[in-house]
Amino acid sequence: MTTVAPATAKSSAVVAARGGGVMSADEIARLLPHRHPFFLLDRIISLEPGVKAEALKNVSVSDGVLAGHFPGRMIYPGVLQVECVAQLAAVIYGSAAAQSAIGETVADVANRVGYLAEIRQAKFLKPVIPGDQIVFRAQSGPRLGSLISVEGQASVGRDVVMTVRLVVTERDAEQ
Amino acid sequence: MATTLAEATSLTSERRQLSAEVKQLLVDRLSLEVDPTMIGDDQPLFGRGLELDSIDTLELAMAVEDTFGIAITDDDTDSLLSLNRLVDHIQANRP
Repeated sequence: MTTVAPATAKSSAVVAARGGGVMSADEIARLLPHRHPFFLLDRIISLEPGVKAEALKNVSVSDGVLAGHFPGRMIYPGVLQVECVAQLAAVIYGSAAAQSAIGETVADVANRVGYLAEIRQAKFLKPVIPGDQIVFRAQSGPRLGSLISVEGQASVGRDVVMTVRLVVTERDAEQ
Repeated sequence: MATTLAEATSLTSERRQLSAEVKQLLVDRLSLEVDPTMIGDDQPLFGRGLELDSIDTLELAMAVEDTFGIAITDDDTDSLLSLNRLVDHIQANRP
């Protein structure tokens, strides 16, 4: 007789490990307040809490935004790629907060997510289309008060498709 | 310790040059549409001075670190209040 393990955080970590990742979509959802249709990252594949991370996003025709952007010429919007980097930045500082609170990289810390404060030097180097798998890389830079500088990049295969510098904010959980 | 006239003159000219460098850095990194030579030494950087906003503080702190190798942390944000204070901070922390 086999028993079915309950769906716990531990079992979803196993799922992430099986996919070669370090954090599953369900685990990312504990760090971010975003939900459908604005929850954008599929998996975290490398993570150094508080410093840098890499994420996967699969672009599929089933994503409703492609129905309007554009009919007959589907392109994944550049602004959403920028948002993906902002969400990855929140994973970087959220996992650091989780680690200092409970010693693990995943915890319910979505209330720490602040705002996107600045977008600088965004470049969209190549269109992203359905079927592409985007790898996002973000690196956290200097911070001052609640402001955090972030450098981000997106690539599909060997091609860099987007680069950007952002400023995001982190909130104290009590705020 | 007494300062000779020659030493004082040299310090003043060093200070003037550093101020000019910081003004140029401000204009370049924050894309200000201002002639750097028109920025006053005591001009406030925020609000009614150069009209920088709170988000510019981080870019300015990064610019100072990149250019002069001097960090501005949460403990010394007062040094971002005016150009003179910023130049004081850089001079005081230079190796």
